[in-house]
Amino acid sequence: MDPQPEPVSYICGDCGAENTLKQGDVIQCRECGYRILYKKRTRRIVQYEAR
Amino acid sequence: MAETRETSGGGDEMEALRELFRPHIESFDYFIDAGMEVMLRSINAVEVRHPKSNTSLRIWLENPELVSPVKEGRKAMREPLFPYECRQAGTSYRGKFNADVCFQYDDRPPVIRQRFNFGHIPIMLKSKLCHLRRADAQKLTHHKEEATEMGGYFICGGLERLVRLLIMQRRHFPLSLVRGSYSNRGLGYTDKAVVIRCVREDQSAVTVRLYYLQSGSARVGFRVRGKEFLLPVGILLKALIDTNDREIYASLTRCYSETHQREKGSVGTQLVRERAKIILDEVRSLSLYTSLQCLEHIGESFQPIMYGLEKETHSAVGEIVLRDYVFVHLGNNHDKFNLLIFMLQKLFALVDQTAAPDNADALQNQEVLLPGHLVTVYLKDKLQEWLSRSREFLEEELKNNEKDFDLHNMAQVKKLIDKNAAHVGRLVENMLKVGSLAAGSAVELPQMVGLTIQAERLNFLRFISHFRSVHRGAYFTKMRTTSVRKLLPESWGFFCPVHTPDGEPCGLLNHMSSTCRITNYYDSRGYIKDYLKYKKSILTVLVGIGMSPSLPKLETSGPPEALNVLLDGCVVGSIISTKIEQAVMHIRGLKLSATSGIPDDLEVGYVPLTMGGAYPGLYLFTSPSRFVRPVRNISNPFGRNQGVELIGSFEQAYMEIRCADGGDGGRKDPFPATHEEIHPTGILSVVANLTPWSDHNQSPRNMYQCQMAKQTMGFSSQALQFRADNKSYHLQTPQTPIVRTTAYTKYCIDEYPTGTNAIVAVLAYTGYDMEDAMILNKSSVDRGMCRGQIYQVESVDLAKNHDRGDKEVKIFARSNLDKSVRSSIDSDGLPYIGQRINPGEPLYSSYNTLSGTIKPTMMKGLEPAIVDYVAVDGASSKQSLQKVNIRLRRPRNPVIGDKFSSRHGQKGVCSQLWPDIDMPFSGVTGMRPDLIINPHAFPSRMTIGMLLESIAAKGGSLHGKFVDATPFSSSTKNVDGDLPHESKSLVDELGPLLSSYGFNYHGLEVLYSGVYGTELACEIFIGPVYYQRLRHMVSDKFQVRSTGITDPLTRQPVGGRKHGGGIRFGEMERDSILAHGAAYLLHDRLHTCSDYHIADVCRLCGSVLATSIMQHQKRAVREIGGLPPLKTPKKVTCQACRTNKGMETVAMPYVFRYLATELAAMNIKISLKLSNRAAA
Repeated sequence: MDPQPEPVSYICGDCGAENTLKQGDVIQCRECGYRILYKKRTRRIVQYEAR
Repeated sequence: MAETRETSGGGDEMEALRELFRPHIESFDYFIDAGMEVMLRSINAVEVRHPKSNTSLRIWLENPELVSPVKEGRKAMREPLFPYECRQAGTSYRGKFNADVCFQYDDRPPVIRQRFNFGHIPIMLKSKLCHLRRADAQKLTHHKEEATEMGGYFICGGLERLVRLLIMQRRHFPLSLVRGSYSNRGLGYTDKAVVIRCVREDQSAVTVRLYYLQSGSARVGFRVRGKEFLLPVGILLKALIDTNDREIYASLTRCYSETHQREKGSVGTQLVRERAKIILDEVRSLSLYTSLQCLEHIGESFQPIMYGLEKETHSAVGEIVLRDYVFVHLGNNHDKFNLLIFMLQKLFALVDQTAAPDNADALQNQEVLLPGHLVTVYLKDKLQEWLSRSREFLEEELKNNEKDFDLHNMAQVKKLIDKNAAHVGRLVENMLKVGSLAAGSAVELPQMVGLTIQAERLNFLRFISHFRSVHRGAYFTKMRTTSVRKLLPESWGFFCPVHTPDGEPCGLLNHMSSTCRITNYYDSRGYIKDYLKYKKSILTVLVGIGMSPSLPKLETSGPPEALNVLLDGCVVGSIISTKIEQAVMHIRGLKLSATSGIPDDLEVGYVPLTMGGAYPGLYLFTSPSRFVRPVRNISNPFGRNQGVELIGSFEQAYMEIRCADGGDGGRKDPFPATHEEIHPTGILSVVANLTPWSDHNQSPRNMYQCQMAKQTMGFSSQALQFRADNKSYHLQTPQTPIVRTTAYTKYCIDEYPTGTNAIVAVLAYTGYDMEDAMILNKSSVDRGMCRGQIYQVESVDLAKNHDRGDKEVKIFARSNLDKSVRSSIDSDGLPYIGQRINPGEPLYSSYNTLSGTIKPTMMKGLEPAIVDYVAVDGASSKQSLQKVNIRLRRPRNPVIGDKFSSRHGQKGVCSQLWPDIDMPFSGVTGMRPDLIINPHAFPSRMTIGMLLESIAAKGGSLHGKFVDATPFSSSTKNVDGDLPHESKSLVDELGPLLSSYGFNYHGLEVLYSGVYGTELACEIFIGPVYYQRLRHMVSDKFQVRSTGITDPLTRQPVGGRKHGGGIRFGEMERDSILAHGAAYLLHDRLHTCSDYHIADVCRLCGSVLATSIMQHQKRAVREIGGLPPLKTPKKVTCQACRTNKGMETVAMPYVFRYLATELAAMNIKISLKLSNRAAA
């Protein structure tokens, strides 16, 4: 296993707070304790087929 | 508990919508409020006896409590759990179920109560224990629900499931039936019986059947633990009450009098007297004379099969049998006696053909199974089972573990029986999740499987229809005869005549009409009904009108002189037949008065005296789960609810109800109408009500539309972004229809529109519109018409996948070594949101901590998808991330082969996306149609409604107004009370509007060819029609194969689209090719493209199997001049002949070789005779 994958941001499904979690972190919102988090949309350029 | 109907949340505009779901919710509410309590009371206590000290321990249940759903886990305790979370996490929306288990030693006072937890029971959404009960639209959206959420279903394992409404026999009404199977009960049985389904207060039922014997006597049959037991009726009559032969004889022959022979309504004949004698002789021949002797006889015969009554006396057992199995809805033995007498009289009338048999398939004699009742019955059964299981445990422990186990030690007892208490809740949840009863359930239900269904949210109409559908029962689906499927006049107004699927479930799966309701346990103010009070006030009223009550035993006469009065299956008295009409009118009047104490859904089933018709009598019902519907009582228009009376399906058959079309429906003067339909559309279901001008269409087209409306891609959900359905269809740009019915606004369908107003031209244009194909304008599609997408959720649970037992733990991770996955997988092992994933690309990757390998998992499916959201779920595991929902979006824009339909059963397949510039255009406006259909679609199908819709929508869109297209509006009165003119057709209303805007009166327009620019020879009918896009799309269906996977055993192509298989070229296809003489083609299909095989056959012994390939020891061939080495010729020898002289190669299907092997296994040899000549 390679060391330290970079952390990923998630948005809480309840309060909407942003959480940045590393590998192995407990999946829970730091603000409200809600346990369903949504991944944030990627910052990368997503190109759709223009047809 | 008191709750008025309006306060259940939401605005008034949703009220009509909520009304549709009420049967489900109210029945579950009753389960919560009182049903549980009643159910626990009816569970029999069990008794454990110490084998030596002879101390006894009685155990029973009390004080049930169901708790609102809360989050699990110690910290989150008492925090409410909301349905959204259950859907997202794939868990169940359920609450804890607790009850007191009471222990009592030696029947002496101190009752020890212990609180037990019986697991969790799913809670129905919007029921009284649901957190969303009183939520308004704002609160609902805050909790990530639909603003219109109506509830009525359970969430089990993340899936929305609802209890299917099943047809049951009407409770507490003796039906006379003729069935061939009855004569198979034994020797001397005939095919005639009177059957009554008796329901206890806890909704469990026992059916009692009274069979007629050829001897003239009768047998009473009822089921104890799934087995039917038969008793001579005389024994039962005597055992029930202390009576004498004279009294029984008099009661039975009451219905016959010499003065009224062959008169209208006389049901008795002289034979009744002889039969009464036979019944009494039968008892005497068994030397049973007194009531006690009969009771003991019953007790003696039933003792071996009754558990826990081994030590009781025979008479006590007999009384328990009478209490628990005979007419369980009645508490009093006198009532039971009277009912049995009544049933005998009805049976004799059936046999003598003075009364006709009842039809068990008619809605008149039916009621419905409700979710609350199903849960009550099942829970009762499981609790009873748990109690008797506990008793067995305790007895076993007393036997095996004499020293350590003390029956007086409560802690020990509790520990022993607490073990599987939580299993009870699990069983109930499982029943709702799977829809089938656990094996060994002693519940009297028509079927064991298919009790619940999943509420699909394909579109809103499909969702509603689930809750309004009523199924006849799984048993009838296999029946060959079609009589159960027939639409009978009895179901008028209760079941929609249009909305039933065609094909297999036709007529068995019906839908309730939009006005149909189901009676329940709550009165109009939201209190639980007090049936005793009702009974009292009804009896007072009846006696006041002149009923002679049955309880003080008086010699009364039967029909034609007097009619029996039954209230909920209890013979309460009789009324002189001259007074009866007046009495019925009076009670009906009282139904409409709020202060009379008579419930507004009382069913007054007055069966009049007839010659050989239905058995006469006055049958009153107050029971729940009956079908009722509102009609206007025209004789009393000022009562409760402006004279709107709820009538049931039983009484309707004998009532005079006028339709609101101004005519009198062929009714003759002696029978004036007493009631009137409120609106003709009340007979239609919600979905059928949405078809505009359905009264102008041919009726099968309206049925097709009901089917297709439920298959339409629409705006499936307002909370779409929070949902985790396996698959949901979504229409990108839906529109509200210009032409709509009043039901459209009434049921808030605008919240979930399902189609597009497309400009439809009816012409034969390109030749691509033959046979129901249609041409879409490519530019319209490019602008967004009918665009849609499919959302699909991939639920990944790493903890679930690994092999049982071992400590293999997987986590989501990305490989840092393999740079190629970086483009599609983020550093947490999950995909990027918004990322496009092509088939064959990885969706996520996981790291196996045990083996240290990282494995990417590929996306399923053949088409590219876009990652819509990734929800990580921390609730299921304490540690690292294990469970993830990945939602993929698959764009589905219209392509050739997709299916569309108008709202008139006119479906078609897109055959071309035609360029806009080549479409025909209007000479005046320059408008091009969005869609072209062929004129041949109309003459044979006669969907005039569609033509009217086109004209009306054209006028409506010009005028800027929606057009009302409610069916039958031409035959109903206007607001000012007069009917519209007969001569004025609908076109004459719509046409002038068009011409006022300068258009053709009949909706025609001059079009020019898009290709030639010339004027088309005739004017074209063109206008906007609301089009639905159906969910059947080619992308899900196309199947193509040249070569691919084959079956390893036969080497033939496999079937099934999923595996890339082929379509079977079967016998009929073979025959047709043969008939054409296309032998080479046939050979190609069946051999070359299938299991073509070159076999080595030995000419000498003719065997396919004995040949084997000899392996060369070394490769003797050298490479010559860079050319690839020559393939060494195969050396094949025959094992049997030990030579290779006779080797030949023969092309044959591989299955032939397989056949030879199979036959060889059976010691049969196949030998081939090889020859070169054509005609060998």
